Amino acid sequence: MKNSFVILLKSPKFMIGAILFLLMLALVLIYPQINRKDPLEMIALAFQPPDANLWLGSDNFGRDLFLELMYGIQTSIRVGLIAGVFATVIGLIIGLASGYIGGIVDNILTAITNIFIVIPSFVILILISVSINSRSSLVTAIIIGITSWPWTARAVRAQTTSLRGRDHVHIAKISGHSTPKIIVFEILPYIASYVVMAFVLQTASGILSEASISMLGLGPYNTISLGIIMNWALVFEAPVAGAWWAFIPAALSIALITFSLYMMNTGMDEIFNPKIRS
Amino acid sequence: MSANILEVSGLKTYYKTRLKEKVFAVDGVDFDLEEGKTLGIAGESGCGKSTLALSLMGFYFPPLHYGSGSIRIHGNDIMKLSKEQLRSKVSGREIAYIPQAAMNALNPTLRIIRFIEDIMKEHRPELSKKQVWELASERFKTLNLPEKVLRSYPNELSGGMKQRTVIAISTILNPKVLIADEPTSALDVTSQKAVIKLLKDLLNKKYIRSLVFITHELPLLYHVTDDIMVMYAGEIVERGTAEQMIFDPVHPYTKKLMGSILVPEEGMKGQKLAAIPGAPPNLKQVPPGCRFAERCSYARDECKVGKVPVQTNGGNMYRCHFDTDTLKEWYANEQS
Amino acid sequence: MNAYSRYFFKKLFWYLMTLVIAIALNFFLPRMIEGNPVSLIVSQMSKGMTDSDTIKRVYETFMKEFGIDKPMWEQFVIYIKNLFIGDLGTSFGLYPKKVTDILTSAIPWTIGLQLPAILVGWILGNLLGAVAAYKKGVFDKVIFPVALFINSIPFFTLAIIMLYLFALTLGWFPLSGGYDFQMVPRLSLDFIGSVIRHHTLPFLSIVLVTIGGQAIGMREMSIYELNADYVLYAKLLGIRDSKISRYVFRNAMLPQITGLALSIGTMVGGSLICEIVFSYPGLGTWMFTAIRQLDYPLISGCTLLIAVTVLLANFTIDMIYGLIDPRIKAAQMEEE
Repeated sequence: MKNSFVILLKSPKFMIGAILFLLMLALVLIYPQINRKDPLEMIALAFQPPDANLWLGSDNFGRDLFLELMYGIQTSIRVGLIAGVFATVIGLIIGLASGYIGGIVDNILTAITNIFIVIPSFVILILISVSINSRSSLVTAIIIGITSWPWTARAVRAQTTSLRGRDHVHIAKISGHSTPKIIVFEILPYIASYVVMAFVLQTASGILSEASISMLGLGPYNTISLGIIMNWALVFEAPVAGAWWAFIPAALSIALITFSLYMMNTGMDEIFNPKIRS
Repeated sequence: MSANILEVSGLKTYYKTRLKEKVFAVDGVDFDLEEGKTLGIAGESGCGKSTLALSLMGFYFPPLHYGSGSIRIHGNDIMKLSKEQLRSKVSGREIAYIPQAAMNALNPTLRIIRFIEDIMKEHRPELSKKQVWELASERFKTLNLPEKVLRSYPNELSGGMKQRTVIAISTILNPKVLIADEPTSALDVTSQKAVIKLLKDLLNKKYIRSLVFITHELPLLYHVTDDIMVMYAGEIVERGTAEQMIFDPVHPYTKKLMGSILVPEEGMKGQKLAAIPGAPPNLKQVPPGCRFAERCSYARDECKVGKVPVQTNGGNMYRCHFDTDTLKEWYANEQS
Repeated sequence: MNAYSRYFFKKLFWYLMTLVIAIALNFFLPRMIEGNPVSLIVSQMSKGMTDSDTIKRVYETFMKEFGIDKPMWEQFVIYIKNLFIGDLGTSFGLYPKKVTDILTSAIPWTIGLQLPAILVGWILGNLLGAVAAYKKGVFDKVIFPVALFINSIPFFTLAIIMLYLFALTLGWFPLSGGYDFQMVPRLSLDFIGSVIRHHTLPFLSIVLVTIGGQAIGMREMSIYELNADYVLYAKLLGIRDSKISRYVFRNAMLPQITGLALSIGTMVGGSLICEIVFSYPGLGTWMFTAIRQLDYPLISGCTLLIAVTVLLANFTIDMIYGLIDPRIKAAQMEEE
């Protein structure tokens, strides 16, 4: 594990992604400590263009967009990470159970997984979000997490099934190790790199999902996220007003975060998946 | 006296790792092969025998690279040819290859006959589709392969049948040399026999003129080949006739290798199965001196330094510091 | 029964199961939350109305449609019954318009926008991905990061940027809608021209994002195929590279068809939001309006329609795939 981490540091793709992500994270965590104003405070006229004071101008309510953006990125990353954790953990549990136990359990879990892969997750996302009246960003994150696990489950199941037949697992079984112990010591280490990659991807797709449902007006309440900034811009017709600063920075921020995560994932993929190596 | 069909000298090929290190898997190999003869190459996994097989084809695909040396077929060095000349004049026509994992060697979405047509388009463009079909079905019939295989997709064939089909395809242009890399290792005993019979048929019918057979199963070589070479850590450590290599090896490594297998042959009964302790050296850092010294029970201090001389024992060669008589004496002492 | 019809019926069974579950989710999910939104909204709606007769009429319509006073399972039966006769209820926001009528007017726009956009994006993306994998070097180093970056941009983001750039700043294309609003839909050149002008930007934004995602998938698939054993084997038989790249393209393309099936749900979702940006008169825009007005029957109608369409698209692709990929055919045989 330590060795693979050292190799990762030599992958330019992974490093570009990781550095980009960490820089952004540092900026949005540090800036609000310096500028302690409330991002929702109206301090200017509507749609003021960027200047020395308001770096990214103001939105339709006359709020400082740069400050809003800092909080927005924070929320989006947090929602993405929580959604990523939920999706990965659920997917991991279902995939491991399905792949390791096999038999009827496998059949049932695989059927459920396949069904939820086909039913578009954003449909379920909309149906649940529409029904919950007060959504905090945590609730939104959890909803996203529990609608996006099937991919991880499918992949983990495939890997576990092939591991189950390996000698070291047989030996552990014959030696009388308990099932949880075998899973933790004989299976998990072999799929660890894969799970980390799945988590990174799930985080990226969680950020995109949050942005999408926030755009629809189903995002979290009482907070600022990148999707919500875009929703405001659209509802109050910022494009028509020519206020590019109200949506382009937020749009690019989403793209940059997901891009950095995808880059990390690709870098890891090239290292851990020798078939892709060329 | 028949001429050499294949002459390899000073062949060095290496893998480039991600960290740009060179790992020489074939490190200065010399040998030649007479027309009509079969040569076996044996060794533990990781000794470089499969890399040698691939290297003999003259094509190098990353991460495998050509270092130095020559590969002559009927005296012509194929390493001096351009890639295009090699592809159109040599590959499949002069020298052909049977890959280790024949299971995956065929394009899964192409019927066998379509693949043969594609090969013929490169090498015998004058043939019509109908002529190709006749030629292929004729060849398959002679080799006792069912004609319907031609119309099948690879996945519709059993493992043994797939392997025989690959052999038939590889030899359809009557190449002079056939390199077979572990053609039987993934098969059950019945299919193994069929494959061996097929290879012998090809030689008897002169569809191929000589065969290089690579395997880790030594007893198999005794039945198939005239000569055997043993590889260790990228080098040839001993070469001799099959008879001599199986029953009277000189090099301590060959000796151990023979001891580590059960051969159901007369005079071999009662031999104990003895694994060779230790592992082959890391090819990234080859030790100076004899590469086997680490694991050799006869090794002395002088083995670990200096160049290892190539010695002869009759018509055979081996790579060791000690002469045949010394080694034989040690072996005799050990047995008593 | 032959292998393909068995495959067909097996798939059909699973898709029907999935459909049932999708319908059940569509019904139960919103009703599981405490304070049934349907009854909540009906009461909220009726509060705003002063005319007691109208209140009564509206209230009775929804009471009848939803059967709110009845137990849950009975409500579900009513819901299914209504579904069978194509009745998705009455819209809250556009009372007394039927949801089915609204959806019927929106579907042609959505299909006319998304089907060609997704197909064109899929084809172009696959070609680019294959080229990137095959040419490697500079080409790959340019295409890959660009595709990755485009793929990181949510559908609607690209749509907004394009809207701002090409419609607002440059004025090349209209800002919103499916056609000029002063026009009456009819079959005239003027009208068709207007539709095409309004179609261009949303179409391009969907195509661009689809290209990004597909190119990445295809690049990975192609690299995987390029490393397959059959590529090496074909090369060693002297088959030229252009032919081998055709094998690789075909084999990498086939799984991309399943890839299309699996990602079509996400694509449709993204494209729906893209419609909102351009106020395109399709499903997405209606759903946006419905969500803002908490028009529950219309939201539910939209989600159900989307789910069913995606299921149908998946099923179609699965069927086509089963017909053209021999690897699937072989898998069907094995199951017998």
